[in-house]
Amino acid sequence: MKLRTRRKLTNGVALFLSMAAMAFGLFWLAWILFTVLSQGLGGISINTFTQLTPPPGEMNGGLRNALAGSALLVVISTLIGTPIGILVGIYLAEYGRNSWMANLTRYVNDLLLSAPSIVIGLFVWIALIYTHVAGYSGWAGIIALSLIMIPVVVRTTENMLMLVPGSLREAAYALGASRRVVIMQVLLRAAKSGVVTGILLAIARIAGETAPLLFTALSNQFWNSDLTKPIANLPVTINNFAMSPFVEWQKIAWAGVLIMTVSVLVLNIVARIFFKQEKIG
Amino acid sequence: MSEFTSHIEFKNFNFFYGKYHALKDINLAIPHRKVTAFIGPSGCGKSTLLRTINRMYDLYPDQRAEGKLTLGGTNILESDIDVSMLRAKVGMVFQKPTPFPMSIYDNIAFGVRLHERLTKADMDDRVEWALRRAALWDEVKDKLGKSGMSLSGGQQQRLCIARGVAVKPEVLLLDEPTSALDPISTMRIEELVDELQKEFTIVIVTHNMQQAARISDFTAYMYLGELIEFGNTDQIFVKPSKKQTEDYITGRFG
Repeated sequence: MKLRTRRKLTNGVALFLSMAAMAFGLFWLAWILFTVLSQGLGGISINTFTQLTPPPGEMNGGLRNALAGSALLVVISTLIGTPIGILVGIYLAEYGRNSWMANLTRYVNDLLLSAPSIVIGLFVWIALIYTHVAGYSGWAGIIALSLIMIPVVVRTTENMLMLVPGSLREAAYALGASRRVVIMQVLLRAAKSGVVTGILLAIARIAGETAPLLFTALSNQFWNSDLTKPIANLPVTINNFAMSPFVEWQKIAWAGVLIMTVSVLVLNIVARIFFKQEKIG
Repeated sequence: MSEFTSHIEFKNFNFFYGKYHALKDINLAIPHRKVTAFIGPSGCGKSTLLRTINRMYDLYPDQRAEGKLTLGGTNILESDIDVSMLRAKVGMVFQKPTPFPMSIYDNIAFGVRLHERLTKADMDDRVEWALRRAALWDEVKDKLGKSGMSLSGGQQQRLCIARGVAVKPEVLLLDEPTSALDPISTMRIEELVDELQKEFTIVIVTHNMQQAARISDFTAYMYLGELIEFGNTDQIFVKPSKKQTEDYITGRFG
Protein backbone atom coordinates (compact mmCIF):
# COMPACT_ATOMS: atom_id res chain seq x y z
CA MET A 1 0.00 0.00 0.00
CA LYS A 2 2.82 2.33 0.92
CA LEU A 3 4.59 1.54 -2.33
CA ARG A 4 1.43 2.25 -4.27
CA THR A 5 1.00 5.66 -2.64
CA ARG A 6 4.59 6.54 -3.36
CA ARG A 7 4.24 5.56 -6.99
CA LYS A 8 1.07 7.59 -7.35
CA LEU A 9 2.81 10.57 -5.80
CA THR A 10 5.87 10.23 -8.07
CA ASN A 11 3.60 9.94 -11.06
CA GLY A 12 1.64 13.02 -9.98
CA VAL A 13 4.79 15.10 -9.56
CA ALA A 14 6.24 13.98 -12.90
CA LEU A 15 2.97 14.72 -14.67
CA PHE A 16 2.73 18.14 -13.05
CA LEU A 17 6.31 19.05 -13.99
CA SER A 18 5.90 18.01 -17.61
CA MET A 19 2.57 19.84 -17.89
CA ALA A 20 4.18 22.95 -16.39
CA ALA A 21 7.06 22.74 -18.87
CA MET A 22 4.57 22.41 -21.73
CA ALA A 23 2.54 25.38 -20.47
CA PHE A 24 5.71 27.46 -20.14
CA GLY A 25 6.70 26.73 -23.73
CA LEU A 26 3.23 27.22 -25.15
CA PHE A 27 2.74 30.50 -23.27
CA TRP A 28 5.64 32.24 -25.00
CA LEU A 29 4.81 30.73 -28.35
CA ALA A 30 1.21 31.91 -28.11
CA TRP A 31 2.35 35.36 -27.02
CA ILE A 32 4.76 35.64 -29.96
CA LEU A 33 2.11 34.50 -32.43
CA PHE A 34 -0.44 36.87 -30.93
CA THR A 35 1.94 39.85 -31.19
CA VAL A 36 2.89 38.95 -34.77
CA LEU A 37 -0.76 38.58 -35.71
CA SER A 38 -2.05 41.77 -34.07
CA GLN A 39 0.86 43.98 -35.12
CA GLY A 40 1.15 42.41 -38.56
CA LEU A 41 -2.52 42.69 -39.42
CA GLY A 42 -2.32 46.39 -38.52
CA GLY A 43 0.50 46.93 -41.02
CA ILE A 44 -0.62 44.70 -43.86
CA SER A 45 -2.62 46.02 -46.81
CA ILE A 46 -2.79 45.69 -50.57
CA ASN A 47 0.12 48.15 -50.71
CA THR A 48 2.32 45.62 -48.99
CA PHE A 49 2.25 43.53 -52.14
CA THR A 50 2.13 46.24 -54.79
CA GLN A 51 4.44 49.00 -53.53
CA LEU A 52 8.20 49.13 -53.25
CA THR A 53 9.92 49.67 -49.93
CA PRO A 54 9.46 53.39 -49.23
CA PRO A 55 12.07 55.99 -48.36
CA PRO A 56 11.79 57.30 -44.78
CA GLY A 57 8.81 59.56 -44.17
CA GLU A 58 6.79 58.24 -47.09
CA MET A 59 3.34 56.97 -46.10
CA ASN A 60 2.48 54.49 -48.85
CA GLY A 61 5.02 51.79 -49.14
CA GLY A 62 5.11 48.05 -49.38
CA LEU A 63 7.36 45.06 -49.67
CA ARG A 64 6.97 44.13 -53.34
CA ASN A 65 10.70 44.19 -54.09
CA ALA A 66 11.59 42.39 -50.86
CA LEU A 67 9.01 39.65 -51.40
CA ALA A 68 10.08 39.10 -55.01
CA GLY A 69 13.76 39.18 -54.04
CA SER A 70 13.25 36.65 -51.27
CA ALA A 71 11.27 34.38 -53.56
CA LEU A 72 14.02 34.56 -56.19
CA LEU A 73 16.79 33.84 -53.67
CA VAL A 74 14.94 30.95 -52.06
CA VAL A 75 13.88 29.35 -55.35
CA ILE A 76 17.38 29.43 -56.87
CA SER A 77 19.01 28.30 -53.62
CA THR A 78 16.58 25.37 -53.54
CA LEU A 79 17.35 24.50 -57.15
CA ILE A 80 21.06 24.43 -56.28
CA GLY A 81 20.86 22.94 -52.80
CA THR A 82 18.36 20.13 -53.42
CA PRO A 83 20.17 18.12 -56.10
CA ILE A 84 23.55 18.48 -54.39
CA GLY A 85 22.04 17.52 -51.04
CA ILE A 86 20.19 14.51 -52.45
CA LEU A 87 23.26 13.26 -54.31
CA VAL A 88 25.46 13.54 -51.23
CA GLY A 89 22.76 11.78 -49.20
CA ILE A 90 22.67 8.97 -51.76
CA TYR A 91 26.45 8.71 -51.63
CA LEU A 92 26.45 8.41 -47.84
CA ALA A 93 23.61 5.88 -47.61
CA GLU A 94 24.27 3.71 -50.65
CA TYR A 95 27.90 4.06 -51.74
CA GLY A 96 30.15 5.39 -48.99
CA ARG A 97 28.39 3.76 -46.04
CA ASN A 98 31.13 3.26 -43.45
CA SER A 99 34.17 4.14 -45.54
CA TRP A 100 36.47 6.81 -44.11
CA MET A 101 35.44 9.15 -46.92
CA ALA A 102 31.77 8.79 -46.01
CA ASN A 103 32.46 9.19 -42.31
CA LEU A 104 34.49 12.33 -42.98
CA THR A 105 31.72 13.73 -45.21
CA ARG A 106 29.14 12.90 -42.54
CA TYR A 107 31.23 14.63 -39.88
CA VAL A 108 31.75 17.78 -41.95
CA ASN A 109 28.09 17.79 -42.88
CA ASP A 110 27.08 17.61 -39.21
CA LEU A 111 29.42 20.52 -38.48
CA LEU A 112 27.81 22.55 -41.26
CA LEU A 113 24.37 21.56 -40.01
CA SER A 114 25.02 22.97 -36.57
CA ALA A 115 27.07 25.98 -37.70
CA PRO A 116 25.35 29.25 -36.83
CA SER A 117 24.04 30.83 -40.01
CA ILE A 118 25.98 34.02 -39.33
CA VAL A 119 29.19 32.00 -39.68
CA ILE A 120 28.07 30.84 -43.11
CA GLY A 121 27.32 34.46 -44.04
CA LEU A 122 30.73 35.59 -42.84
CA PHE A 123 32.40 32.75 -44.71
CA VAL A 124 30.81 33.77 -48.00
CA TRP A 125 31.66 37.38 -47.27
CA ILE A 126 35.33 36.56 -46.68
CA ALA A 127 35.58 34.06 -49.53
CA LEU A 128 33.86 36.16 -52.19
CA ILE A 129 33.25 39.74 -51.23
CA TYR A 130 36.29 40.65 -49.13
CA THR A 131 38.54 39.07 -51.77
CA HIS A 132 36.69 40.98 -54.52
CA VAL A 133 35.76 37.81 -56.34
CA ALA A 134 32.22 39.14 -56.28
CA GLY A 135 30.41 42.10 -54.81
CA TYR A 136 27.44 42.22 -52.51
CA SER A 137 24.96 40.47 -54.73
CA GLY A 138 22.04 38.11 -55.09
CA TRP A 139 24.42 35.34 -56.11
CA ALA A 140 26.46 35.73 -52.92
CA GLY A 141 23.22 35.42 -50.97
CA ILE A 142 22.21 32.37 -52.95
CA ILE A 143 25.53 30.68 -52.20
CA ALA A 144 25.10 31.36 -48.49
CA LEU A 145 21.52 30.06 -48.46
CA SER A 146 22.48 26.97 -50.48
CA LEU A 147 25.26 26.23 -47.99
CA ILE A 148 22.69 26.29 -45.21
CA MET A 149 20.24 24.16 -47.14
CA ILE A 150 22.59 21.41 -48.37
CA PRO A 151 23.43 19.82 -45.00
CA VAL A 152 19.74 19.64 -44.06
CA VAL A 153 18.89 17.85 -47.31
CA VAL A 154 21.94 15.58 -47.01
CA ARG A 155 20.92 14.53 -43.52
CA THR A 156 17.26 13.82 -44.30
CA THR A 157 18.05 12.05 -47.57
CA GLU A 158 20.56 9.77 -45.85
CA ASN A 159 18.25 9.09 -42.92
CA MET A 160 15.27 8.35 -45.14
CA LEU A 161 17.30 6.01 -47.37
CA MET A 162 18.60 4.20 -44.29
CA LEU A 163 14.99 3.70 -43.16
CA VAL A 164 14.17 1.79 -46.36
CA PRO A 165 14.18 -1.86 -45.28
CA GLY A 166 17.23 -3.84 -46.39
CA SER A 167 14.89 -6.51 -47.77
CA LEU A 168 13.51 -4.05 -50.34
CA ARG A 169 17.05 -3.29 -51.46
CA GLU A 170 17.86 -6.99 -51.75
CA ALA A 171 14.60 -7.71 -53.57
CA ALA A 172 15.48 -5.14 -56.23
CA TYR A 173 19.03 -6.45 -56.62
CA ALA A 174 17.68 -10.01 -56.73
CA LEU A 175 15.89 -9.18 -59.98
CA GLY A 176 19.21 -8.29 -61.54
CA ALA A 177 18.91 -4.51 -61.25
CA SER A 178 22.03 -2.36 -61.25
CA ARG A 179 22.82 -0.12 -58.32
CA ARG A 180 21.72 2.96 -60.24
CA VAL A 181 18.33 1.45 -61.06
CA VAL A 182 17.83 0.21 -57.50
CA ILE A 183 18.58 3.66 -56.09
CA MET A 184 16.70 5.76 -58.63
CA GLN A 185 13.63 3.58 -59.19
CA VAL A 186 13.12 1.78 -55.92
CA LEU A 187 14.92 3.34 -52.96
CA LEU A 188 14.34 7.02 -53.76
CA ARG A 189 10.72 6.22 -54.51
CA ALA A 190 10.35 4.44 -51.18
CA ALA A 191 12.00 7.36 -49.38
CA LYS A 192 10.24 10.05 -51.43
CA SER A 193 7.88 11.44 -48.82
CA GLY A 194 10.64 11.78 -46.26
CA VAL A 195 13.05 13.41 -48.69
CA VAL A 196 10.44 15.89 -49.92
CA THR A 197 9.49 16.71 -46.33
CA GLY A 198 13.15 17.39 -45.61
CA ILE A 199 13.39 19.72 -48.60
CA LEU A 200 10.26 21.62 -47.56
CA LEU A 201 11.60 22.06 -44.03
CA ALA A 202 14.95 23.21 -45.43
CA ILE A 203 13.12 25.79 -47.56
CA ALA A 204 11.22 26.96 -44.49
CA ARG A 205 14.53 27.36 -42.73
CA ILE A 206 16.34 29.41 -45.39
CA ALA A 207 13.26 31.54 -46.04
CA GLY A 208 13.70 33.17 -42.66
CA GLU A 209 17.49 33.42 -42.48
CA THR A 210 18.71 36.99 -41.97
CA ALA A 211 22.33 36.75 -40.89
CA PRO A 212 23.77 35.13 -44.04
CA LEU A 213 22.03 37.70 -46.25
CA LEU A 214 23.24 40.70 -44.20
CA PHE A 215 26.79 39.98 -45.35
CA THR A 216 26.00 38.93 -48.89
CA ALA A 217 22.83 39.98 -50.67
CA LEU A 218 22.61 43.10 -48.54
CA SER A 219 19.37 44.82 -49.45
CA ASN A 220 17.99 47.17 -52.04
CA GLN A 221 15.46 49.98 -51.80
CA PHE A 222 14.54 49.52 -55.43
CA TRP A 223 13.22 46.87 -57.77
CA ASN A 224 16.04 44.67 -58.94
CA SER A 225 16.13 41.27 -60.57
CA ASP A 226 19.83 41.38 -61.44
CA LEU A 227 21.49 38.77 -59.24
CA THR A 228 24.93 40.35 -59.65
CA LYS A 229 23.73 43.39 -57.69
CA PRO A 230 22.51 43.70 -54.10
CA ILE A 231 18.93 42.52 -53.95
CA ALA A 232 16.04 43.29 -51.62
CA ASN A 233 14.82 40.44 -49.45
CA LEU A 234 12.34 40.00 -46.66
CA PRO A 235 14.54 39.13 -43.66
CA VAL A 236 17.07 41.96 -44.11
CA THR A 237 14.32 44.47 -44.90
CA ILE A 238 12.49 43.46 -41.73
CA ASN A 239 15.74 43.79 -39.82
CA ASN A 240 16.45 47.27 -41.20
CA PHE A 241 12.91 48.57 -40.91
CA ALA A 242 12.24 47.20 -37.45
CA MET A 243 15.41 48.85 -36.12
CA SER A 244 14.50 52.22 -37.68
CA PRO A 245 12.91 55.08 -35.78
CA PHE A 246 10.19 55.58 -38.44
CA VAL A 247 6.71 54.34 -37.54
CA GLU A 248 5.79 53.56 -41.17
CA TRP A 249 8.86 51.42 -41.57
CA GLN A 250 8.13 49.56 -38.33
CA LYS A 251 4.59 48.89 -39.54
CA ILE A 252 5.90 47.45 -42.79
CA ALA A 253 8.38 45.32 -40.86
CA TRP A 254 5.52 43.84 -38.83
CA ALA A 255 3.63 43.07 -42.03
CA GLY A 256 6.76 41.34 -43.33
CA VAL A 257 7.05 39.31 -40.14
CA LEU A 258 3.44 38.20 -40.50
CA ILE A 259 3.91 37.17 -44.14
CA MET A 260 7.05 35.25 -43.29
CA THR A 261 5.49 33.49 -40.30
CA VAL A 262 2.45 32.48 -42.30
CA SER A 263 4.57 31.22 -45.23
CA VAL A 264 6.75 29.10 -42.95
CA LEU A 265 3.66 27.80 -41.18
CA VAL A 266 2.06 26.85 -44.50
CA LEU A 267 5.27 25.13 -45.63
CA ASN A 268 5.37 23.12 -42.42
CA ILE A 269 1.73 22.12 -42.73
CA VAL A 270 2.20 21.10 -46.37
CA ALA A 271 5.24 19.05 -45.34
CA ARG A 272 3.21 17.27 -42.66
CA ILE A 273 0.28 16.56 -44.94
CA PHE A 274 2.61 15.29 -47.64
CA PHE A 275 4.41 13.00 -45.22
CA LYS A 276 1.16 11.60 -43.84
CA GLN A 277 -0.54 11.01 -47.17
CA GLU A 278 2.42 9.16 -48.62
CA LYS A 279 2.59 6.93 -45.58
CA ILE A 280 -1.01 5.83 -46.11
CA GLY A 281 -0.92 5.58 -49.90
CA MET B 1 17.41 -42.16 -53.84
CA SER B 2 15.50 -41.78 -57.09
CA GLU B 3 17.31 -40.65 -60.21
CA PHE B 4 17.35 -37.01 -61.23
CA THR B 5 19.18 -34.52 -63.40
CA SER B 6 20.88 -31.98 -61.24
CA HIS B 7 20.49 -28.28 -61.97
CA ILE B 8 22.57 -26.69 -59.24
CA GLU B 9 25.66 -28.29 -57.75
CA PHE B 10 27.76 -27.32 -54.77
CA LYS B 11 31.23 -28.86 -54.71
CA ASN B 12 33.54 -28.44 -51.72
CA PHE B 13 31.68 -25.23 -51.09
CA ASN B 14 32.65 -22.98 -48.19
CA PHE B 15 31.24 -19.63 -47.12
CA PHE B 16 32.57 -16.96 -44.80
CA TYR B 17 31.11 -13.93 -43.02
CA GLY B 18 34.38 -12.10 -42.49
CA LYS B 19 36.41 -14.63 -40.51
CA TYR B 20 33.41 -16.68 -39.44
CA HIS B 21 33.24 -19.96 -41.32
CA ALA B 22 29.48 -20.23 -41.93
CA LEU B 23 29.23 -23.10 -44.42
CA LYS B 24 31.63 -25.99 -44.28
CA ASP B 25 32.51 -28.13 -47.23
CA ILE B 26 29.06 -28.45 -48.73
CA ASN B 27 28.54 -31.03 -51.47
CA LEU B 28 25.04 -31.03 -52.81
CA ALA B 29 23.21 -31.51 -56.11
CA ILE B 30 19.82 -29.85 -56.47
CA PRO B 31 17.50 -31.57 -58.95
CA HIS B 32 16.06 -29.90 -62.03
CA ARG B 33 12.38 -28.86 -61.83
CA LYS B 34 11.80 -30.36 -58.42
CA VAL B 35 11.17 -28.76 -55.06
CA THR B 36 14.13 -28.97 -52.71
CA ALA B 37 13.72 -27.90 -49.09
CA PHE B 38 16.52 -26.75 -46.76
CA ILE B 39 15.67 -27.46 -43.14
CA GLY B 40 17.56 -27.15 -39.88
CA PRO B 41 17.63 -25.13 -36.67
CA SER B 42 18.11 -21.35 -36.72
CA GLY B 43 21.62 -20.32 -37.60
CA CYS B 44 22.46 -23.60 -39.32
CA GLY B 45 23.26 -21.81 -42.59
CA LYS B 46 20.29 -22.82 -44.72
CA SER B 47 19.42 -19.23 -45.70
CA THR B 48 23.09 -18.48 -46.25
CA LEU B 49 23.29 -21.43 -48.61
CA LEU B 50 20.18 -20.32 -50.48
CA ARG B 51 21.50 -16.79 -50.89
CA THR B 52 24.67 -17.96 -52.59
CA ILE B 53 22.72 -19.32 -55.56
CA ASN B 54 21.94 -15.79 -56.83
CA ARG B 55 25.13 -14.32 -55.32
CA MET B 56 23.15 -12.11 -53.00
CA TYR B 57 26.25 -12.00 -50.79
CA ASP B 58 27.94 -9.80 -53.42
CA LEU B 59 26.14 -6.87 -51.81
CA TYR B 60 28.19 -7.29 -48.65
CA PRO B 61 31.93 -6.82 -49.04
CA ASP B 62 32.97 -8.97 -46.08
CA GLN B 63 31.15 -12.06 -47.28
CA ARG B 64 32.82 -14.54 -49.62
CA ALA B 65 32.40 -18.00 -51.08
CA GLU B 66 34.99 -20.61 -51.96
CA GLY B 67 34.78 -23.83 -53.92
CA LYS B 68 32.51 -24.55 -56.80
CA LEU B 69 28.86 -23.72 -57.39
CA THR B 70 27.47 -24.56 -60.80
CA LEU B 71 24.17 -23.64 -62.40
CA GLY B 72 23.48 -25.76 -65.45
CA GLY B 73 27.21 -26.59 -65.60
CA THR B 74 28.58 -23.03 -65.36
CA ASN B 75 30.56 -22.11 -62.25
CA ILE B 76 28.75 -19.00 -61.02
CA LEU B 77 31.41 -18.15 -58.46
CA GLU B 78 33.78 -17.01 -61.21
CA SER B 79 34.44 -13.30 -61.03
CA ASP B 80 33.65 -12.77 -64.72
CA ILE B 81 30.04 -13.97 -64.28
CA ASP B 82 27.48 -11.28 -65.15
CA VAL B 83 25.60 -11.14 -61.85
CA SER B 84 22.67 -9.33 -63.43
CA MET B 85 22.26 -12.15 -65.97
CA LEU B 86 22.61 -14.73 -63.23
CA ARG B 87 19.84 -13.06 -61.22
CA ALA B 88 17.61 -13.03 -64.29
CA LYS B 89 17.97 -16.82 -64.27
CA VAL B 90 17.59 -17.19 -60.51
CA GLY B 91 14.59 -15.42 -58.98
CA MET B 92 14.14 -14.92 -55.26
CA VAL B 93 11.26 -14.40 -52.85
CA PHE B 94 11.96 -13.20 -49.32
CA GLN B 95 10.57 -13.90 -45.89
CA LYS B 96 8.64 -10.67 -45.66
CA PRO B 97 6.72 -9.51 -48.72
CA THR B 98 8.73 -6.79 -50.48
CA PRO B 99 6.44 -5.02 -52.95
CA PHE B 100 8.11 -2.00 -54.53
CA PRO B 101 6.52 1.40 -53.94
CA MET B 102 4.83 1.44 -57.36
CA SER B 103 1.73 0.07 -59.05
CA ILE B 104 0.94 -3.64 -59.19
CA TYR B 105 1.60 -3.54 -62.94
CA ASP B 106 4.97 -1.80 -62.54
CA ASN B 107 5.98 -4.18 -59.77
CA ILE B 108 5.80 -7.00 -62.32
CA ALA B 109 7.15 -4.99 -65.26
CA PHE B 110 10.13 -3.66 -63.26
CA GLY B 111 12.16 -6.86 -63.48
CA VAL B 112 11.14 -7.60 -67.06
CA ARG B 113 12.25 -4.15 -68.25
CA LEU B 114 15.72 -4.78 -66.83
CA HIS B 115 16.32 -7.67 -69.19
CA GLU B 116 13.97 -7.37 -72.17
CA ARG B 117 12.50 -4.69 -74.39
CA LEU B 118 8.84 -5.46 -74.89
CA THR B 119 6.08 -3.55 -76.65
CA LYS B 120 3.23 -2.31 -74.50
CA ALA B 121 1.00 -5.16 -75.67
CA ASP B 122 3.66 -7.80 -75.02
CA MET B 123 4.32 -6.35 -71.58
CA ASP B 124 0.60 -6.44 -70.80
CA ASP B 125 0.57 -10.11 -71.77
CA ARG B 126 3.63 -10.85 -69.70
CA VAL B 127 2.17 -9.14 -66.63
CA GLU B 128 -1.05 -11.12 -66.97
CA TRP B 129 0.88 -14.34 -67.55
CA ALA B 130 2.99 -13.81 -64.44
CA LEU B 131 0.03 -12.83 -62.27
CA ARG B 132 -1.87 -15.92 -63.46
CA ARG B 133 1.13 -18.10 -62.62
CA ALA B 134 1.07 -16.65 -59.11
CA ALA B 135 -2.71 -17.19 -58.81
CA LEU B 136 -3.23 -13.48 -58.26
CA TRP B 137 -4.70 -12.34 -61.57
CA ASP B 138 -8.37 -12.67 -60.66
CA GLU B 139 -7.89 -10.63 -57.51
CA VAL B 140 -5.98 -7.73 -59.07
CA LYS B 141 -6.96 -7.58 -62.75
CA ASP B 142 -9.23 -4.58 -62.13
CA LYS B 143 -6.72 -2.61 -60.10
CA LEU B 144 -3.37 -3.05 -61.82
CA GLY B 145 -2.72 0.70 -61.44
CA LYS B 146 -3.06 0.59 -57.66
CA SER B 147 -0.04 0.53 -55.38
CA GLY B 148 1.41 -2.89 -54.67
CA MET B 149 1.57 -1.89 -51.01
CA SER B 150 -2.24 -1.73 -50.86
CA LEU B 151 -2.56 -5.52 -51.13
CA SER B 152 -2.86 -7.88 -48.17
CA GLY B 153 0.24 -9.68 -46.88
CA GLY B 154 -0.59 -12.92 -48.67
CA GLN B 155 -1.37 -11.08 -51.90
CA GLN B 156 1.86 -9.09 -51.60
CA GLN B 157 3.82 -12.30 -51.30
CA ARG B 158 2.13 -13.73 -54.39
CA LEU B 159 2.89 -10.44 -56.14
CA CYS B 160 6.55 -10.98 -55.28
CA ILE B 161 6.37 -14.50 -56.66
CA ALA B 162 4.76 -13.13 -59.84
CA ARG B 163 7.51 -10.53 -60.05
CA GLY B 164 10.14 -13.24 -59.85
CA VAL B 165 8.34 -15.49 -62.32
CA ALA B 166 7.81 -12.65 -64.84
CA VAL B 167 11.53 -12.53 -65.65
CA LYS B 168 11.20 -16.21 -66.72
CA PRO B 169 13.98 -17.58 -64.53
CA GLU B 170 15.12 -21.20 -64.39
CA VAL B 171 15.29 -21.30 -60.61
CA LEU B 172 13.11 -19.80 -57.88
CA LEU B 173 14.62 -19.34 -54.43
CA LEU B 174 12.09 -19.04 -51.62
CA ASP B 175 13.49 -17.88 -48.28
CA GLU B 176 10.87 -18.79 -45.66
CA PRO B 177 8.17 -17.37 -47.92
CA THR B 178 5.24 -18.14 -45.63
CA SER B 179 6.62 -17.41 -42.18
CA ALA B 180 4.97 -13.98 -42.11
CA LEU B 181 1.63 -15.19 -43.50
CA ASP B 182 -1.60 -16.57 -42.07
CA PRO B 183 -2.54 -20.25 -42.60
CA ILE B 184 -4.84 -19.63 -45.56
CA SER B 185 -2.28 -17.51 -47.42
CA THR B 186 0.32 -20.14 -46.55
CA MET B 187 -1.84 -22.84 -48.09
CA ARG B 188 -2.26 -20.84 -51.28
CA ILE B 189 1.49 -20.33 -51.60
CA GLU B 190 2.10 -24.04 -51.03
CA GLU B 191 -0.38 -24.92 -53.76
CA LEU B 192 1.37 -22.41 -55.96
CA VAL B 193 4.78 -23.97 -55.35
CA ASP B 194 3.33 -27.32 -56.39
CA GLU B 195 2.10 -25.72 -59.61
CA LEU B 196 5.32 -23.81 -60.33
CA GLN B 197 7.66 -26.79 -60.04
CA LYS B 198 6.48 -27.92 -63.46
CA GLU B 199 8.38 -24.99 -64.96
CA PHE B 200 11.00 -23.99 -62.41
CA THR B 201 13.57 -25.56 -60.15
CA ILE B 202 12.46 -24.51 -56.70
CA VAL B 203 14.61 -24.25 -53.59
CA ILE B 204 12.80 -23.37 -50.39
CA VAL B 205 14.12 -22.61 -46.92
CA THR B 206 11.58 -23.36 -44.24
CA HIS B 207 11.32 -23.59 -40.47
CA ASN B 208 8.13 -25.51 -40.78
CA MET B 209 8.81 -29.22 -40.96
CA GLN B 210 5.27 -30.10 -42.05
CA GLN B 211 5.63 -27.64 -44.88
CA ALA B 212 8.86 -29.25 -46.03
CA ALA B 213 7.20 -32.66 -45.86
CA ARG B 214 4.11 -31.46 -47.75
CA ILE B 215 5.65 -29.59 -50.63
CA SER B 216 9.18 -30.78 -51.27
CA ASP B 217 10.50 -33.69 -53.30
CA PHE B 218 13.94 -33.53 -51.75
CA THR B 219 15.13 -32.33 -48.38
CA ALA B 220 18.52 -31.20 -47.13
CA TYR B 221 19.04 -31.18 -43.37
CA MET B 222 21.69 -28.77 -42.15
CA TYR B 223 23.27 -28.24 -38.78
CA LEU B 224 25.98 -25.76 -37.70
CA GLY B 225 26.97 -24.94 -41.25
CA GLU B 226 27.24 -28.53 -42.38
CA LEU B 227 25.02 -30.53 -44.65
CA ILE B 228 24.08 -33.53 -42.49
CA GLU B 229 21.78 -35.39 -44.80
CA PHE B 230 20.19 -35.01 -48.21
CA GLY B 231 17.67 -37.26 -49.88
CA ASN B 232 14.11 -37.89 -50.96
CA THR B 233 11.75 -36.06 -48.64
CA ASP B 234 9.81 -39.27 -47.98
CA GLN B 235 12.94 -41.09 -46.97
CA ILE B 236 14.25 -38.21 -44.81
CA PHE B 237 11.00 -37.89 -42.92
CA VAL B 238 10.15 -41.57 -42.59
CA LYS B 239 13.50 -43.27 -42.31
CA PRO B 240 16.39 -40.80 -41.94
CA SER B 241 19.78 -42.45 -42.07
CA LYS B 242 21.34 -40.22 -39.44
CA LYS B 243 20.30 -40.05 -35.80
CA GLN B 244 20.78 -36.25 -35.77
CA THR B 245 18.25 -35.78 -38.56
CA GLU B 246 15.76 -38.00 -36.82
CA ASP B 247 16.11 -36.04 -33.57
CA TYR B 248 15.44 -32.81 -35.39
CA ILE B 249 12.43 -33.86 -37.42
CA THR B 250 10.80 -35.63 -34.52
CA GLY B 251 11.17 -32.44 -32.49
CA ARG B 252 13.50 -33.86 -29.87
CA PHE B 253 15.87 -31.00 -30.54
CA GLY B 254 15.99 -27.78 -32.52
